[in-house]
Amino acid sequence: MKNRLKVLRAERDWSQADLAERLSVSRQTINAIETEKYDPSLPLALKMGRLFDQCVEKIFLDTEQ
Amino acid sequence: MVERMVAEVLKNSKHVIDDAMEAVGQTKRVYGARLLVRGLLWGAVYVAARWLLESPIESRAARIGIALLPTPFMAWYLWTWFKGMSRMDELQRRIELEALAFAFPVSLVFLATLGLLDVAIALNPDDFSLRHTWLMLPMLYYMGLWKAQRRYQ
Repeated sequence: MKNRLKVLRAERDWSQADLAERLSVSRQTINAIETEKYDPSLPLALKMGRLFDQCVEKIFLDTEQ
Repeated sequence: MVERMVAEVLKNSKHVIDDAMEAVGQTKRVYGARLLVRGLLWGAVYVAARWLLESPIESRAARIGIALLPTPFMAWYLWTWFKGMSRMDELQRRIELEALAFAFPVSLVFLATLGLLDVAIALNPDDFSLRHTWLMLPMLYYMGLWKAQRRYQ
């Protein structure tokens, strides 16, 4: 699923490792989400929303709509 | 053309090495040294048991005891691996599940086929007994793990 994670991360000058640590996941997970190889679970998506202070729909783009 | 092929092979080899290093790094993060130490311990006890069983020990009870000696160490190692899964994040757990989802059915096919071949042509027990074929199961798991890791990179 398309997402703006890389953009949001870059705005805060965070590396993938920094973001992974803040979300308590591995860097591999962040990379897989950013490269659209993996869609996060709902709890993780909501955690991202809280971290970036944005709703999930603004981070993950539903291209089917 | 040959140079391009060589470059391609080297590039793919680098991917394989990078993947292996990433996997080792993640294993260290999840398990620390525990898994390695318990794995080595089990390996050492297994090798010792195999060596002892090659020697002429008459007592059947003693031979059974030696054969069963590595079992608790293997169980301890596998329990460590299983407990570590609770410390993995969601993608790592999915990768483990996909590895097992690959390894289990392929193992079934392998063992079922081997069983029938043994009935058909009486396979050489020095090459195809249980003490050899069980090694295919962890190999298939690691193949599945590599396949799943690559999928999410």
